[in-house]
Amino acid sequence: MSRLTRSRWQTWVKKWINRRIPRSDVQLLTQRNLFILPTAAGVVFCMLLLIMLITGINYQNSLIYLVTFLLGAVFVGAMHQTHRNLSDLELTLVQAGEGFAGDDILFRLRAAAGKDDAIALTLSDDDFSVRVGHVPAGQSIDIALRVPSAFRGYLRPDQIRIETRFPFGLLKAWSWMRPVSAGLVFPRPIAAPEVISAVDDGDQTASSRSPEGNDHAELRPWREGDMSQRVMWKRYARSGQMVVADWEADKGSPHWLDFDAFPGTDHELRLSYLSWLVLERGENNTRFGLNLPGQIIEPESGPAHTTRCLRALATWGEKKPRETVAQPHGTRRYSPSDRPSDATPGAPV
Amino acid sequence: MRLLRRAKNEPDKQGGSLPSLALLWLIASFALLLTPQLDRLPVWLILVCVALAGWRWLAQQGRVRLPGRWLRTGIMLALVAVYLVQVQGSFTVDTAASFFVLAVGLKWLETRTARDFYVLFYILVYLATVNFLFHQEIHWALINIGAIALLLIGLQVLNAPELPGGMKAGWGRLGIMLLKVLPVVVLLFVFFPRMAPLWSVPLVSGQARTGISDTMRPGDISSLAQSSERAFRVTFGGSMPEYRDRYWRGLILDTLDDGTWRQSGYDPYQAPGRVNVDGGVGELKPGEYDVLMEPTDQRWAFALEGSVAVSNNVIKKTDNLFRFRRPADSAVRYRLALEGGDEPAAEALLPGDARRYLQLPSEGNPRARALADELRRSSDEIPAGDSSVGDIEVIRTLLTRFREQPYFYTLRPPKMPDDGIDSLLFDEKRGFCAHYAGATTFVLRSAGIPARVVVGYQGGEGGAGNEYLIVRQYDAHAWVEAWVEGPGWIRIDPTAAIAPDRIESGLRDAVADEGSFLENNWTSAQRYGDVAIIQWASLHLDRINYQWQRWVVGYQGQSQMDLMSRLPGGFGMRELGYLTAGIVGVGLLIAGLISALQMRKGERRDGYQRVLGAWHKLCGRAGVPVRHGETPTALASRLAVAEPAVADSARLFARMVNSHYYRPPSARDDAGDLTRLRRLLATMKRQLRRTGKKRPGIRRSEPHSGKHSD
Repeated sequence: MSRLTRSRWQTWVKKWINRRIPRSDVQLLTQRNLFILPTAAGVVFCMLLLIMLITGINYQNSLIYLVTFLLGAVFVGAMHQTHRNLSDLELTLVQAGEGFAGDDILFRLRAAAGKDDAIALTLSDDDFSVRVGHVPAGQSIDIALRVPSAFRGYLRPDQIRIETRFPFGLLKAWSWMRPVSAGLVFPRPIAAPEVISAVDDGDQTASSRSPEGNDHAELRPWREGDMSQRVMWKRYARSGQMVVADWEADKGSPHWLDFDAFPGTDHELRLSYLSWLVLERGENNTRFGLNLPGQIIEPESGPAHTTRCLRALATWGEKKPRETVAQPHGTRRYSPSDRPSDATPGAPV
Repeated sequence: MRLLRRAKNEPDKQGGSLPSLALLWLIASFALLLTPQLDRLPVWLILVCVALAGWRWLAQQGRVRLPGRWLRTGIMLALVAVYLVQVQGSFTVDTAASFFVLAVGLKWLETRTARDFYVLFYILVYLATVNFLFHQEIHWALINIGAIALLLIGLQVLNAPELPGGMKAGWGRLGIMLLKVLPVVVLLFVFFPRMAPLWSVPLVSGQARTGISDTMRPGDISSLAQSSERAFRVTFGGSMPEYRDRYWRGLILDTLDDGTWRQSGYDPYQAPGRVNVDGGVGELKPGEYDVLMEPTDQRWAFALEGSVAVSNNVIKKTDNLFRFRRPADSAVRYRLALEGGDEPAAEALLPGDARRYLQLPSEGNPRARALADELRRSSDEIPAGDSSVGDIEVIRTLLTRFREQPYFYTLRPPKMPDDGIDSLLFDEKRGFCAHYAGATTFVLRSAGIPARVVVGYQGGEGGAGNEYLIVRQYDAHAWVEAWVEGPGWIRIDPTAAIAPDRIESGLRDAVADEGSFLENNWTSAQRYGDVAIIQWASLHLDRINYQWQRWVVGYQGQSQMDLMSRLPGGFGMRELGYLTAGIVGVGLLIAGLISALQMRKGERRDGYQRVLGAWHKLCGRAGVPVRHGETPTALASRLAVAEPAVADSARLFARMVNSHYYRPPSARDDAGDLTRLRRLLATMKRQLRRTGKKRPGIRRSEPHSGKHSD
């Protein structure tokens, strides 16, 4: 088969499967969406059976006939058993995970067995697989599946494959789950250069000049963790107050992280800088706001705020994936890199 | 193809970590499969296999390491060299089987991944197949099938290392599967057309088989007498002949040469193809008898005097001997019939034959020759016109001499190296049937009477229930036939004159005083013939095996055709083929139907699910398609907004559904709840219909497709 026909065939198969298995966060495995084929081991086993049959014929040996038929019937029996392992199993996407681009995102799924035990299940996406093990009849088990991400945006595995080869590994039954819900991939944090915020911070009042002549240094009371070099010791000697000169404060407002603060840089890079800054601010537990074209998040602090900002960064300019579009590594790859800044503002977070 | 791709994250390709339990089952199966081979494998090979499998096991435990590539290659080359030296170029099925076993043994050293595990699985399954070529008794069959079951358990463990429910569940699962498929297996076994061999495959065994051979040296048969292996089993259509008449003729030795009796004029021609192993089908008529002969690797078949061939796998040759077309390398069943009337006696011995049956070495044993001359002279003194009377007189005198003089029948004959016949007849007077038969033939020939040694079996004990006869190797016997003008060949048994017990009731009684019966054979059940329980067990085991051999092992082409001919509608090979295909097809269809029905039943079983589904459908029709993950309450309130008429019923319905799913199971009244839910649903339908009539333009939308019935 030439490469062209093969790829065409693969596309066709994929289309056929996608038609057969619509996207859903809940997938009940039935005869309609379960597939079963012999494994390579199973094919060799069938050839072995053929050789055994020929041996039986040539040596006129009834017992060899008997064993051949027995093993052949066991093969068919195994087919039923393998199918039953998966049939009636319900696979639910419990939580689509979040993470930074380039990391593996955890998708949490739940497998609930039907009236038969589901034995030796393996869940896999294109790159990782999880051995689930055994789900007793009527019970359920939670599974975390890692999905690799390459780009920021919405991440939705095209197909999550669930497979079993139990009992003998001669046959494999499998099906796919095609989740609707997408995980979020935050931009990969990249250490940002010096930042200048263009947003005028109205309530900024505590600014003063440094006695050394440094412009725009903000003086603030000493906090635990400040470096001793930054303490204004002269002032301390004068007033007995530990005051720290915050040098960054003079490079724009520290309360605002601004998309437009990095002129001339690629949008994605800007988002990565912002992601780094958001994380940094989040760690220091400082107040900050996020200013994206079309979306402004008011200054606040705390982990929830950090997450909100990261989500905003992840989804900025991205469309929530629709049913039919499959975007295995986040949405970024499929959108033009120089999206105009007035594109659809971030999706609801 | 995409469906088959997935090489990179195959869970079993991780390598290096086979589940210990799976390996243990595999090794156990290997050990079990070696047992049928023990008698044909060289000892060193067995030890090597045990060592290699043990090495693998210790490596699994982490105590030693598996050999690297060089060491492995070295071990392999060394063992193959030892094997080649041992085999020395002879190629038989035995050497092939040992090479097979050696290959399995070596494979243990490189069983690292699941792939290797499967390779071993295939090889071991085929080893079981090979075992069936050599051993077909029921216990060996059980051992082989048991070993295959162990392999299947090993595969289960390999595919699910944390085998749910433990080993017991694993065995249970396998057992249930085997039970389920058993009917199909039986049908296939009965109806699968037994074709003729596709190509000729002799089963050449290098192993010397226990049994009579085509040369007889004095002492040969007494060594055979220490074996209680079965030679053949016979079922008679009518009544069994008397013990003393059970002379099973096998072959004729006519040439004496250097103290050894040989067979002359043996036809080495072997027809291609295989001997039908199941000659003789259908009911036995009176006078007919079925012989189920163990493999001898020889062409001769054993028959009572005066038999004719009924089945077509034996051919009657001259001298009333029966032969197969090819050596019998597996158990063969053939059918013969005893002829009622006497055979027409041959008028005269052909000159060539006369020469053949009078052949003697030119010198040796002078005293025996002198005795023959004396017998001849004394018989010539009898006034008679016919030479046959003189011949009979010579024979009678000789037998009388055996009867009256102190000749002994013994399993411990002394060594008689020079002029053996002389020392037997005049000095030692102690010997076994072969000695006496040889000596008698010698004397008769010296006296000018054509004579020959006949080798075969004499006697046989009744099997369990006396339904059939078991003839064992210790029943091997040699006697004499002499040509007398008129009656033709007559049977002369010097042993009958010396030890009548041997002929009347068998070797055990004949050597009872001596205590030499099976004296070197501690494990034989026949040795303990006086212990009733052993005897009983041995006989019943033999009966089971006999039935097994007759009906299962011996179920081949002829038996199948016979069985089919009894079925209505003439069944031929082609019909059988169709039938088999039909069985497979119907079997698969039935299995598919059953599983489909089970699945439907499973869907139907949860009444709540169905009522809920019906409700969802109703909501869909009412223009409120259920959304994903929506609770019944939320759906009910939306429905209430859309259709105020059903608001109350819908809320009640939702409440009941909730209370069903969230109440503890003890506080449920499932059947009652279900009825109420159904009634409520019907009410809602009615109410909807009524409002629908009032407002004919009701917006209808299809229920949201997808799986959201939770």
